[in-house]
Amino acid sequence: MEENKKMCMALHSGSLDRLTGAGVVISGAAADDMDVDVYVLLQAARAFKKEIADDYEKLPMTENEDIKEEFIASLKKLNVPTWIEFFEMAKELTNVKIHVCSLAGKMWGGEKVEDFVDLVDDICGIGEYIEAAQEADVHLFI
Amino acid sequence: MTTEELKALTVQKSVDARGTACPGPLLAAKKAIGEIGSGDIMEILSADEGTKKDIPKWANKKGHEYMGTVEEAGYFKIYMKKA
Repeated sequence: MEENKKMCMALHSGSLDRLTGAGVVISGAAADDMDVDVYVLLQAARAFKKEIADDYEKLPMTENEDIKEEFIASLKKLNVPTWIEFFEMAKELTNVKIHVCSLAGKMWGGEKVEDFVDLVDDICGIGEYIEAAQEADVHLFI
Repeated sequence: MTTEELKALTVQKSVDARGTACPGPLLAAKKAIGEIGSGDIMEILSADEGTKKDIPKWANKKGHEYMGTVEEAGYFKIYMKKA
């Protein structure tokens, strides 16, 4: 059988809108049977902390904090899953692995995989990300 | 296929994704296709314009057969046959 195409995503942003966008992209890739490796860097690692993820509406917006209320209201009205739910769905559909950068984890007080939401597969170093980026058919930085 | 022919099809699986926006219907279709057998016909109900192009493209790319789309009041039905 033909090997699946590979997506590598460097997820740097910890803001609500970008995380939601990342979730849409990953689930689209999953629907297309791509293997996806997400590398959770710096601010994004904070959003994956258990206590933060439970209260995702408190996450900031990327550019304009004034539109947050409208953003959240629209997502709800359109029945759009939360960013975490997008990640969960993508994992159900295909081979999606979530790796948290060890430095990023430490910055927010998370050293072990248990400190993060269940979606997270492992803690990794930068070398693993670079290798995945080299091998990927699609590489994104969000 | 004509609209009449599509409407007359017996479907093995119907996925009502009218309550979701893109990428909801595509994800629902992807999930459902795993639940039917080869040669089975599936219909996807959606009211999301992006889906109208996405699902036929996805179906053909994955080797299934996109059969056609029927417009209904405020939504549409996409028909496909699993490879």
